[in-house]
Amino acid sequence: MSDYQFIGKPANNVDGFAKAMGKARYVADLQVPGMLYTQVLRSPIPHGRIIHLNVKPALKIHGVLAAITCDDFVDHGNLGWPIKDSYILAYQKVRYVGDPIAAVAAETPELARAGIEAIELELEELPGVFDLTKALNEDAPLIPLHPPVGKGNLVDRLIVRNGEPDEILSKCPVILEETYFCHHQEHAYLETEGTLAIPNDDGGVTVYSNDQSPFINRNNLMMVLGLPENKVRVIQPPVGGSFGGKDDIDYQNSGQVARLALMTKRPVRLTLTREESILASYKREAMQIKIKLGAEKDGTLRAAKVNMLADSGAYPSQTPLAAWRGTMHAAGAYRYDAVHVDTDVVYTNNGYCGAFRGFGNTEATDTIEQAIDELAFHLDRDPIDLRLQNCLHPGDRAMTGNTINHEIGLTDCLKWVREQSNWNQKRSLYSQQKTSEEIRRGIGVACYFHGSSLGGEGADYATSTLKIENDYTLTLTCGLTDYGQGSRTVFTLIAAEALGINPERIQMLRPDTQTAIDSGPTVASRSTIMGGNSTRVAGQNLNVLLVLAAANYLHCDPAQVIRAGEKYIGPNEDPITFNEVVDHALQMGLTLSSYGTWNMPHIEWHFDKGTGIPYYCYVFGAVVAEVEVDQRLGKTDVLNIWMAHDGGKIIFPQGARGQMIGGIAQGLGYGVMEEMKFNQGYPQSINFDGYLIPTALDMPAVKGTFIETHFKEGPFGAKNLAEPMLIGVAPAIANAAFQATGVRNRVTPLSYEQMLLGHDLAQPAPLKRIRAVLGAHS
Amino acid sequence: MKINFNLNGSPVSIDAPANITLLNLLREKFGLTGTKMGCEVGECGACSILIDGKVVNSCMLLAPQVNGRSITTIEGIHDPNGGPNDLQISLVENGAVQCGYCTPGMVMAGEALLSHTLSPTEDEIRNAIAGNLCRCTGYQQIVEAIEMTADLRRRKLAGQAKKLEEVQ
Repeated sequence: MSDYQFIGKPANNVDGFAKAMGKARYVADLQVPGMLYTQVLRSPIPHGRIIHLNVKPALKIHGVLAAITCDDFVDHGNLGWPIKDSYILAYQKVRYVGDPIAAVAAETPELARAGIEAIELELEELPGVFDLTKALNEDAPLIPLHPPVGKGNLVDRLIVRNGEPDEILSKCPVILEETYFCHHQEHAYLETEGTLAIPNDDGGVTVYSNDQSPFINRNNLMMVLGLPENKVRVIQPPVGGSFGGKDDIDYQNSGQVARLALMTKRPVRLTLTREESILASYKREAMQIKIKLGAEKDGTLRAAKVNMLADSGAYPSQTPLAAWRGTMHAAGAYRYDAVHVDTDVVYTNNGYCGAFRGFGNTEATDTIEQAIDELAFHLDRDPIDLRLQNCLHPGDRAMTGNTINHEIGLTDCLKWVREQSNWNQKRSLYSQQKTSEEIRRGIGVACYFHGSSLGGEGADYATSTLKIENDYTLTLTCGLTDYGQGSRTVFTLIAAEALGINPERIQMLRPDTQTAIDSGPTVASRSTIMGGNSTRVAGQNLNVLLVLAAANYLHCDPAQVIRAGEKYIGPNEDPITFNEVVDHALQMGLTLSSYGTWNMPHIEWHFDKGTGIPYYCYVFGAVVAEVEVDQRLGKTDVLNIWMAHDGGKIIFPQGARGQMIGGIAQGLGYGVMEEMKFNQGYPQSINFDGYLIPTALDMPAVKGTFIETHFKEGPFGAKNLAEPMLIGVAPAIANAAFQATGVRNRVTPLSYEQMLLGHDLAQPAPLKRIRAVLGAHS
Repeated sequence: MKINFNLNGSPVSIDAPANITLLNLLREKFGLTGTKMGCEVGECGACSILIDGKVVNSCMLLAPQVNGRSITTIEGIHDPNGGPNDLQISLVENGAVQCGYCTPGMVMAGEALLSHTLSPTEDEIRNAIAGNLCRCTGYQQIVEAIEMTADLRRRKLAGQAKKLEEVQ
């Protein structure tokens, strides 16, 4: 389909120039007259009972105007989804180092800090759970106030029941059974969390927050503040990166500043320092995954059993949902006769965990793709051949038992990375390296599938609006947010294509809960499919009116109107312009605005039975990594990455490329660099001097492509991008490192010590520094 | 204490506490919020500015240290009409701007490099922005944008030299 005007054509990010010139105003850049500053008192210990908490001494300091605890919220500020076990400020207990306990608003940041220091706090330290494998032991200290499923530290249990794998496995001639571990990862968005709350004259509050999902923020605020919907407005300013990380933490922050603003009747802002951000915010969950694969001697996969154990940390946040997604992908993009997955999500006192790009499928893919590679090694098969032999084709049943009926580009992806990487030659060359050589190279592969949008997680809908303004520009809204991934540009291009007008006419607003319409959360890489489709529908609905007006003007039937650029052409008269059509439509009394709503076709996953359809559609991809390992240092250098991704039709090529290379960078960090480790509940790194993310010098040469299958329900055939382009990178690197060294670590990331010693070095947490951040109470 | 320096081409004089960082001085006292706070330990480069043409993390300096110096922030980088300059245009056109939070710092690092050489190698460009973290793009697009700008400026210079020759 090359007859699109704007879809798939070169375009720039709609807010690129404002950002490149330093004019984009993020939350921390917003200064309002009379604005107060917030400081938060945080737990200095991983687990403890609040024996005494008195904020009144803070109020004695001149310039401190308000101080709050959980008692200042409805139901102690209890919130959380899917499990309601979090608080705006700690209730009865603290559960991790950095857990917010109280907050003050003051005239200056220094006075706010003094206010925090003045608060009386007494904690009774409790024994903690720091090893996720011990969280369910009978003698494990209980972390939640009320066990959500009645079984101690169990947060949730998730299953897949597709056939009877035990019977098949007992007859399989080839069995692989291994255990893998994935560490926590920090999002490291460059902009830390920030919220500004401004009290309204009517007793309500307007909140500017760099959150992912302003409507969820609003709904939480209504609940914890006890305000009706028309008294809480959440507006989204530009957001400096999120990657899944600006959900719950921002909702907690928003609750704190909103209450402080309502109490003081002054604007109140909270922006976290990097150190507070890393201490307070949630991480990618650590996971231990046990896999048992059964295959025939010819390499045909027959059955899989997977046991996942996910570290939710101190609060559930979205870990149960991330673990569900991991569970739905745990055996990979392959055909099986039977698969069972059993996942336990557990509480620990290791920070808290939640959404992060890939959302459980990062760990699932990291693990299954290493396991498949191990199986290939045992079978003496080429890893790409083995994948091609078993990977999903249209009409196949996925590991969850559901049949995939749409186009699948996985085989093409695997073939592309094989050819482009010169796989066959390098694979053979590197297998001939002498074991005595200390610097050795390897090449490895991974492939992936990733269910699009929410799937069985919940109702999946989006709504967009379009309005023609008096100056012939258009205003477009959608309830989904753009925190840097480029969705505003995607929606603008889709609206332009649907209407046949230039994208420059369209201004896509950032969501404001008073003007945009709730479209569910901005998660699960769902924006292009969901918001793209709702925008397409809004565009088509508005186009009907414009064509009607043009036909009336041109004295013809609407079906006779044809388009050339922005012109409307009838059979009899001279072509007319868009502006003329708009004028005529207004004279006809037409209302030139439209709504577009789109629902994902209904599917259902039976959580209790472990059966059903988890996702309506999937994206696919393959990655090859070439590495050089210096065995004297344990250093893994990634030299090259090749990636092919099937995300359906590409709407905004520049943005798509950014998602791919950016995903590779985060996957590289996850695979070899980033270690968000906890020592007895204390994080070992709290800033970028300890927590290292890839720099421009760490990046390999990258070559990528998009295999553009056509997804007929998608907007112009598009599926999605974003998350999945991270998930195949770490296992491709691990598989390459195995070819280089002959050693399987089965631990992510492949840190220097992991590569050199085969285990982590126990490092002390920087307690002095953590205490400096947390203040006198520590 | 009184601090005098040149800010984006104009002399300024300001009374500021001796312990305020240059980053906070620029953001809070001058309202120049294009310079971003990222880590406050000199690791991320979001607060990059130019001092006498050299790129510096403004979070690592105390304001009095710039007394008598010449400072350029992102607000001082634009074309003569106040629009985006060639580097800023190249960044946008190469898809080097996603969330945009690191972008002002990247512009400063790029300008500092291009003031030294208009024929940087890829390695030189990667080294020049190695102190600037970006979590969105994977850097390739930023490297390409700086390369493209170097090329544009080099050709523009060559064109000017040719014109000069013709005039003479």
